[in-house]
Formats: sequence, structure tokens, C-alpha cells
Amino acid sequence: MSKFEDFAKLHVTGDPLVLFNAWDAGSATAVAKSGARAIATGSASVSMANGFGDGQKVPLDFALTNAARVVDAVELPVTIDFEGGYAEDANGLSANGRRLAETGAIGCNFEDQVVGTDRIYEIGDQVARIAALRDGVGTDFFINARTDLFLKAKSDTHDSALADRAIERGKAYANAGANGYFIPGLADLSLVERITTAVDLPVNAMHLPTGPSRAEWASAGIARVSHGPFPFMAMQEWLTGQARAALA
Amino acid sequence: MATKFETFAALHTPGVPVVLYNIWDVGSAHAVVAAGAKALATGSHPVADANGWPDGQQVPIDFALENATRIVKAVELPVTIDFEGGYAVEPEEVGRNVARLAATGAVGCNFEDQVVGGHGLHPLELQVRRVGAIRSAVGEQFFVNARTDLFLKTQTYDDALIDQVVERGKSFADAGASGFFVPRLSDPRQIERVVREVPLPLNVIAFPGAPPKSEWANAGVARISHGPFPHRALMKTLEEMARAAIS
Repeated sequence: MSKFEDFAKLHVTGDPLVLFNAWDAGSATAVAKSGARAIATGSASVSMANGFGDGQKVPLDFALTNAARVVDAVELPVTIDFEGGYAEDANGLSANGRRLAETGAIGCNFEDQVVGTDRIYEIGDQVARIAALRDGVGTDFFINARTDLFLKAKSDTHDSALADRAIERGKAYANAGANGYFIPGLADLSLVERITTAVDLPVNAMHLPTGPSRAEWASAGIARVSHGPFPFMAMQEWLTGQARAALA
Repeated sequence: MATKFETFAALHTPGVPVVLYNIWDVGSAHAVVAAGAKALATGSHPVADANGWPDGQQVPIDFALENATRIVKAVELPVTIDFEGGYAVEPEEVGRNVARLAATGAVGCNFEDQVVGGHGLHPLELQVRRVGAIRSAVGEQFFVNARTDLFLKTQTYDDALIDQVVERGKSFADAGASGFFVPRLSDPRQIERVVREVPLPLNVIAFPGAPPKSEWANAGVARISHGPFPHRALMKTLEEMARAAIS
């Protein structure tokens, strides 16, 4: 079985795969040692670790060489947070997707926000973008299509109308060939369940330090829980504490 | 106003050592700045570990220099880079490489006398020329922390070894080094002798189980660094946190 197939099978609705996000070869190695089943990078973590802003401020070449180093460092399947694919048009997305697949990564996150703006692509445009990315990455590659609807709206405005818009997008992304659907920023479990019930893709939630537990995500039908920038941020805080003690 | 070079050099006070908690990337640099550090130092081993290469100049020089540039740009503090053996053997080539390092904005570097990727140490005469070539290439201010790996190549830490350490330290000072770094030197009595006989600020490396810093300070140490241990400890903590999250 290929790494892609291994990875796809780990997405079980109600028994979610947990991804403790890494940012470089060293952090990937540490997470692999913990007994992880797969490795996922987080773009914000990669950016902060290397002094770039988030939002595709990590140069594409750096992102790709870092991805290749992570893939080479571990045996596990690796999925890369590829933000908006570093292109707007179909040709650019196909080309970048091809380069990403060549690193040995077996999947990626792919956002529907127009990176650098407050806007989200129209559904039709994002559907075309997913198809273009698929063209580049090939069939054995897990495209985790992300909607930024919930990140772009304050959490107290997360309601069933917004969930329904997310459902509309999830269904369209599934038809466009996505393998998974990522809804970061949503923590209301009844809305999560509304989405997982309606969208025919494994759904990925982002763990928040004060958010639902793995068991709660599981009961809402989540198939994958990732940790985004929080592992990196926790490590930064820990390192500062250690350094403070050493400097005292 | 003092330059970064002067600020950094002035931190090396025998008896009141500057503590360098070694970093490897911009993120770790920010974390150590937040702890109140006065200067930053990379460790070559953590840079290698963080990016999936073995230590011993297996990190490509271009990556090492770009990483150094990113760190220097990210912080206000003086930054010194662990540059291993200067990525060359021949003095002129070492000088050219360290000049590239100085161009990143780093204020100094560690520079080893071991034969990277080979056996033993460079003959003293060659190492003196290598240190001299660096000094000629980077000018007066760059802090060349000349390291001897004598302790790393033996298990017998006796007076005869200290004789060799002192001989190397004096020669490196004559060649233009700014500091003297003796990893694994730990015994306060031996430290006192090196401090007395070598006219350079002495750097030792703290390790798990090392004597308290006050003991080293009293013996005259001017700089205490932490080598690979911060990164190793952090990765252990990350592993434990990941295990807790996954289970």
C-alpha cells in the first residue's frame, strides 16, 4: 500500500486522526517518535520558525525545500500546509502542485481565501482552482480543501446560515476532487455535526487550546484533528522559560 | 554609541560570564530574546538536527549563511554563529567563507580546530594560519571564538592535556582570535589555569550535570554556552506533548 493510501485510510469519521503539526525536519522527527501515524506541517509555524510573515510570505522555494527535508526525515506520510498554492490561476497552481508532489509529500491543505486579502474565492473559482491543483499533484495525493469562512467571521457570528454556506462549499469541493474538507475556526459542535453529516468528505477540525476535546470532535463526526500553530507556540513558550532559567 | 561588535565583546567578562542559550532558527532566537538574553549564539548541531542533516558541516554552507541572515535580521541583539571548521581546510578559503558569514551581519563565530569529517585536530601551525586568515578577511572587530577540540578527542583530562590546551590558546591569541572555547572543559582547577595562562576570554559549555555556573564564574570563565542541549530538551518536550495529544 502506498503512503497516500495509508494516509487516506487514517481518516475515520468518529475516530479522528490526530496531527500534531510540525514545522521542520527536527520537529517532524520528534512528533514521529511520539507514535504519530502521519506528519502535517503548519504554514504559520514554518513562517514563525524562519522569520517570515504568514500568508505565503515563506518563499515558495523555501517552503518546498523545507517540505522535502521533512519528508526525508521521517518514514511517515507527510502532508504540507500549502496555503493558497502560491498562485491564483490554473497554470500556476498545476505547476506548483507538481513541484509539491515531487517533494514526496502525499497531501496538502489548500485554502479558499484570496491570500493577502479578506476575500474568499467564489465557489466556482475555487472549484476550478482545486481541479487545477489536482492536475499538478496527480491522483494519489490527499487534497485537504480548506474553507476560511469561519476564520474570516467572528466566532459569535458562526450560525447555521454560515454552516450551510460551508456545506455548499464542501459539496462543491468534493465534486471538484478534494479528498478532505478542513473547517478551521469552527468550534460549535452542533454546527460541526451539521457539516460532517451533509458533506461527503472526511472533515478536519483544528484543535484549539480551550476548544473541544478529541472525544467531542469524534462524536461530532470529525475524521481528522490538527493542531495548527499551537505546538510551535507552546514550544516557543517552553524554550523561553528554559532560557530564562539558564540566564538567571 | 557602541557598535554591536563592541557590545558583544564587552559582555565577555572573566568572572561574570555572558550566558548564551544556543538557538538554531529565527523562532528559537525570538524565544531566547524574550527570556532577556544579551546576545544570541547558534549551535551547528541544532541547526543540523532541526533541518535533517548530520552535524559536521553537512548543513550546506549556503543554507547556514541564509539561516544566519534570517536570524540576524529578526533580532536587535548581537548574533554569533557556530561556523564549525569554516567549511574549508585551506586558510584562504576559510577566510573567504568567514567573510561571507560576516556579511550576514553576524558579529562573530565559533571556529574549530578539529579536522571536520576526518580524524584528530589540524596541526597547530596550520590552525594558526587558519585563524590568521579569518582575521585578515574580516577585519579587527569580528569576534573569532577559536575553539579547541582537544577535550573532545580524548577521555583523559589530565595536566598534560591542559598543557596542550594552553599552548593552543596562546597561539590562537597571537593569531588574532578574540576568544577561546574549550568544550567539555569543566574542572574549576583546570579552568583557573587556562584563564591564567591564555590571554583570551574563556568559553565553556554547560551540559546536564555540569557544576553550577557560579563555580565556573569564580574560576574566571567569561562565556558559558549551551551547545546542542536546548534543542535536544525542546525536542524531547515536543515529543511528550505530541504523545499526550495523540493518545
